[in-house]
This record gives sequence, structure tokens and C-alpha cells, in this order.
Amino acid sequence: MNFDFSDDQKMLADHARQFLGETCTFDRLREFVASGEDYDRALWQQMVELGWPGLSVPEAAGGLGLGVLELCLLSEEIGRVLAPVPFFSTVCQAVPLLEQAGGEVADSLLARIAAGTCTVAVANPDQGHSLELGGNSCLDGALAPVAWLHCADVLLVTASETDGTAVLLSVELDQPGVQRERLAAQVLDSVSAWGAAHFDKALTTVLARGELVVALNHKLRLRSAVLLAFEQLGGADSACTMARDYSLERYTFGRQIGGYQAIKHKLADVRVAIELARSNAYYGAWALYTDSPELPRAAALARISGTETFTLAAEENLQVHGGIGYTWEANCHFYYQRARLLAVAVGGPDQWAAELLESIR
Amino acid sequence: MNPQELNDWLATARNWLQEQAPDYSGKARQGLTMDEDLALGRRWQALKSDAGYACITLPRQYDGGGGTEMQKILFEAEEKTWDLPNTYFGISLGMPVPMLLRYGSEAVKDELLPKAIRGEHIWCQLFSEPAAGSDLAALTLKATRDGDGWRLNGQKLWTSWAQYSDWGIIVTRSDPTVPKHAGLTYFYLDMKSEGVEVRTIRKLAGESEINEVFFNNVYVPDSQRMGEVGGGFKVAIETLMVERYAVSDEACGGISAERFIDIAARARIGSRPALEDGEVRRLLADTLVERQGLRSIHRRAMEAIAAGHEPGPEGAIRKLLIAKRRLLLGAAAMDLMGPDALLYDSSAAQSNDPVNAWIEAPPIRIAGGTDEILRNTIAEKVLRLPQDHRPDKGVPFNQL
Repeated sequence: MNFDFSDDQKMLADHARQFLGETCTFDRLREFVASGEDYDRALWQQMVELGWPGLSVPEAAGGLGLGVLELCLLSEEIGRVLAPVPFFSTVCQAVPLLEQAGGEVADSLLARIAAGTCTVAVANPDQGHSLELGGNSCLDGALAPVAWLHCADVLLVTASETDGTAVLLSVELDQPGVQRERLAAQVLDSVSAWGAAHFDKALTTVLARGELVVALNHKLRLRSAVLLAFEQLGGADSACTMARDYSLERYTFGRQIGGYQAIKHKLADVRVAIELARSNAYYGAWALYTDSPELPRAAALARISGTETFTLAAEENLQVHGGIGYTWEANCHFYYQRARLLAVAVGGPDQWAAELLESIR
Repeated sequence: MNPQELNDWLATARNWLQEQAPDYSGKARQGLTMDEDLALGRRWQALKSDAGYACITLPRQYDGGGGTEMQKILFEAEEKTWDLPNTYFGISLGMPVPMLLRYGSEAVKDELLPKAIRGEHIWCQLFSEPAAGSDLAALTLKATRDGDGWRLNGQKLWTSWAQYSDWGIIVTRSDPTVPKHAGLTYFYLDMKSEGVEVRTIRKLAGESEINEVFFNNVYVPDSQRMGEVGGGFKVAIETLMVERYAVSDEACGGISAERFIDIAARARIGSRPALEDGEVRRLLADTLVERQGLRSIHRRAMEAIAAGHEPGPEGAIRKLLIAKRRLLLGAAAMDLMGPDALLYDSSAAQSNDPVNAWIEAPPIRIAGGTDEILRNTIAEKVLRLPQDHRPDKGVPFNQL
């Protein structure tokens, strides 16, 4: 493997970092939380204007036709600022699913995503649910929790037909057969929103069926692991920088706390973990991009490294801040909560460790 | 050398190793005493020199390879896959010899460099002292003027391979009335000089390469000074930087992840295979994450070197992680083996042995930058955090 991002890709990342650094500040996150909005629609609109939702949508469907590597870099930048928008589900998960599923409905959804008129929630295929698919592909049952489910335009979900055949469904969520609510109190992360839905003879469209669905979901899982690893990497890097900056501001016993080895060594360990997480995430990106047979292993490594690193960085950032770090007033909690949320989002480290072992034996 | 030429060159080198290395590695070394192994090592060194693979970055006129840093790193990485008797020459050729190339007179270089490169001579590095380890500039071995030369008095410690050394490089205190970094002077000297006494230190296990070296009024001509009088610290740092990126195998001489998997697959915890245990799996996952991460970091360092840049903190990160990992994996493997771990044979070739991995790990975490110093380096150079508190700064050495 010999991999690095191209200059064009790095330029895209630089622009994204600058744009998000200026717009998606902690103040803005706080305003977002106070507003009770579903997601930051103004920010999402700006992303639409930059063409991000359609970044990897084929040009024929109105997108920019770029690939997964650009998504990796944008995910890192979005992770850095914890942007409260349905980017991951709509762009990182739904777009490739729709593209690979193919067909008229999928194509029209891709066009809507690229045009910025459609956000998508994607149910985790491993998630337990009570969904039942009846005649005419009508859906009954309940589903929760799914990120952005309460506010997205479309849901992609895997269900089984009566004979047990797996089907990938798209569900227009704004229809009489769907009742939705935002899971407010239950969620651990204040800047992402999760929802629940109840379906009563909801109309759906079958996008794929049988073996294809199994293959799509397998790929979805690995892709999600790699792209989340980039989001985790961005978050970890940002939390580490915040801890470093604070350690230079805060004085105890007559000097900056960043001058004491207790803090220096702690932050050095975080920095080292970030270097490893970056290397592993790049390995994952390479495997994804080249569709390498090493992808299952690379995805597991990226995922474990990303999860452990963001967790470590977020915890130590809070610790370096001392008591103020546990308050709502300080910003440490944004990382602390997001790190845990991302850790459980597509399976925890133990599960991925098991998959890693499977992939090398 | 373009990438294609480099690949071709490496393929040739690989073939050469495949032909030659078996007679000098593995079984060929089994049961040898250290003296016999060293003799084998000297022959290997001469063979490499004839083929242009010894000291690849040093000029051909001194029996080096006349090649690039990249070639050296690639060859060494390839060489590491064989269990060759190279350890005796690691320091000699890694630091003192390149320094002699920079500082020695033409006549001295003509005489001494080929002998060192061919393994006839071994050079040692006399830096650390009982009270000067990580804080090298705190050293006290005294150098006083005597006619056209200097007299050395004092003690060095942890000097690897001094018992076999013909020559050495040494940092001394020539002026105790100025702050510690400013009063040092650097020399090379004949280890057979009158007044040099080498005592080998018994380690907690295994045959020992480490020594204490006593200097009793040892004469060194001023022509063997390297750098300015009082400029020794600068030359010492130059010495430590000369090997821009130390090559070590990714298991750091310990057991590979695959070997650990083998052991874990055979061991049982309660009624279940150890490999099904969550803790064992997490350790293994962390090991693999670290290994893959370091592979990419290593590659980035290589690319930096190939592009003519100095490598960044990659070396510090790599050493910090692989030394500790060697200890962890060795100990964990022994835990899984239980009393079978006691069947360790200290005289056998120790490659990939869990007991050896564990017992020889601690000095790696100490020598060449302790874990703590490496963390300081990362904190100060990468995160730009302040230096530690240094109350001796600017104070004349004899007033500390």
C-alpha cells in the first residue's frame, strides 16, 4: 500500500476546514442546542451551496462525481467541529447505497440529494426492530433509535419479506403512515439528534432484494467504519488541540500546567494515538478506494484506532481542564459525548476486535 | 536513483542476501559463544563490504557502499529479516564512524574507516556516566591540558561493546567554570591506550555487551579532538542525530503478532481457547492497530527522507511504542503459556521467543532516549509545550 491524498483533495480539505472553522463554532453549537432545531439547516444549506451532498453523486445525477477519498477528508473536517447536520447518513451512507442499488427510484433520490432537497436517515442493518413488511410493500412496526430519523425526508432500512428474503426499502417519511418523534432526553450527545418512528401501513419502495441486500449492507458497514474513523480522527485532533491550548493558558504553582510532565506526557500519549489513528484511517481509505480484499481488516483497524483515540483525547481534554471541564460552560462535553456516541454508533471496539481477528485468521 | 532503479537495486540486494545470509544466520549461529559469534559477524561485515552493502551511505573509497540513505534503510530492513550477527557493529558503524568521516584527517580516515567498515575494528561511544544519562551535559569525566594533548580522568558507564572496542569517541568536561553545555570537549581515542580499564557489567540476564570504562590519566593527542574546545555538546548532539532514522524491525526484536496468536490459539483460559478471551482479543487488536499505524508512519518517514527532508517525530513515536509493545506481548504470551514459559533456553537463538522478548525489553525502553524523554520530545517538538523546569540553566557547572 502506498497512499496519500492528492493536492486537489488536500485543497478541498483546507477549504472545508477554513469554512467550518469560521462557521461552525462552539457558540453556534450552543445556539443550535438552545434553538431546539432538528439540525442546523442554515449550515446544511451552505454545504448544499458548496456541493457537498452531491460530492460523490455521479455527474449524470447532478452531483460532482468525486469519490470516497473526498468524503474521508470532509468527514474529518466535520468531525473536527462536530457539525450538527445529517452529512454522515445522507452523504456517506445513503449515496453509495443508492448508487449500488440502482434503479429509477434510487436515481431520483440521488438527484434530490445532489440538489440539496433531500436528507436521508439510514437504519443500522444490525439494529433490532419490529418491522413487518406486508403486501404491496407496506411497512408496519417501530424503529428507534436512528440518527435524524425524526427530521429526514427519506429513510433507508432493511426489512424481511414474509419468506425471510432481505429487502432494502426507501420510505418517504412525510406520509400519513409514519409517526415520528425526536428522542430528546434519551440521547447522550446534545449536538446530534436521534429519532423514533412508528409505521402503520407506510408506503415503501423496494430498492434491492436478497443477496444484493446482504452484500450492500456488508459494504455499508465497512464503509461506515472507515468514514466514521475519519470523523473520530477530526474530533480527536480538535480535542487534543483544545487541551494543549488550555494547558498553556492555565497556571498552577507559578507556571503553565503544560510545562509539567504530568500534562506533557499525557498529551504526548494522545498525540501518538492520533498519529496511529491517522495512519489506520488512511489505510482504511486506501482499502475502500481500491476495493481491496484487505478492506475488512483495514476497516476494523481504522474503526478500533479511531474509537480508542477519540475516547482518549476527549477524556484527557476534560481532565486537563479540571473541574471547569465538567461544566456545561466549558466546551469539553461536546467532544466527551460525541466520542462515546461515535464509539457505539456502528459497533463497539470489542465487536470490531472480533471482526479483525476473523479477518486475519 | 529513481524508484525503478531503486527497486531493481533492492531486488539484487535481496537475491544476494538469499545466497549469502544463510551461512551467517539462524542455524549457523546456534550454540556459538559471543566471541565465536563476533568472529562470524566480522566475516559477514567484510563480505558485505566487498559487495558494497556495508555502510551503504559511506564513500566507496573507504569500503562503504557509496549509496543513499534510502538504499541503506531498505537494505537494513531486508537484512533484519535474517537473524545475522550484526549487533556488535550497530553502534560502531551507526555513530562513531560517520563522525570520523566528518571530523577525521584524510590520513586517519584512510587508515581507520576501512577497518571499521569491514568489521576488523569496533568503535564504542563513551557518553553516559554514573550521574549523566538523559542529562548528558551533566557529565564529569575530566579533560586537562598536557603539552600537545589532554589527560582524561573519570568514568563512563553503559558503554556497549567496549570490551571488544579498538577505538572510541568520548565527551569530556574540559572547563567546569562555565555552564554545563559550554564546558565540554569531544575526542576520539585508542581504547588500548594506557590507563583505560574496561569492566563488563553483569546484566540481570543474558550475555552482556555493557561496560563501565575507567580513565586513569589517559593521554589523548589534541589532533584527536573533534570540534572546538568547549564545543563538545554540539558534536555530541550531531552524533545522536547522524543516524537520521534508526531501522528496527517492527516487533523490536520481540515476538510478532502472529507468534502471539499462535500461542494464544494453543493456550486455554478455563475451558475456552485463550483466543476467545475478550482481554486477549483487545490486546491483540491494539497490537495490530499499532503495527499498522506504525507501518504508515514509517512509510511517511521514508518518503520524507527520499524527498530530502529531515524525518519528523516519527522515530520517537516508533521507538516509544515498539519497545513497550515488545514488553507487553512477551509478558502476555508468558502468562498464557504458564509454567511452560520456564522451559526457556537462554543459549538458543532467541528470535521470536516470548521469554527473550520480555526479559530483554527493559533496556530498550531506557537506552537511546527513555520513554520519558521521548514523551518530552513529542510534547515539546510536536505539541510545542514548554520545556521542563531546569534550575541549572546558565549556572557555572562547578557551582551546581
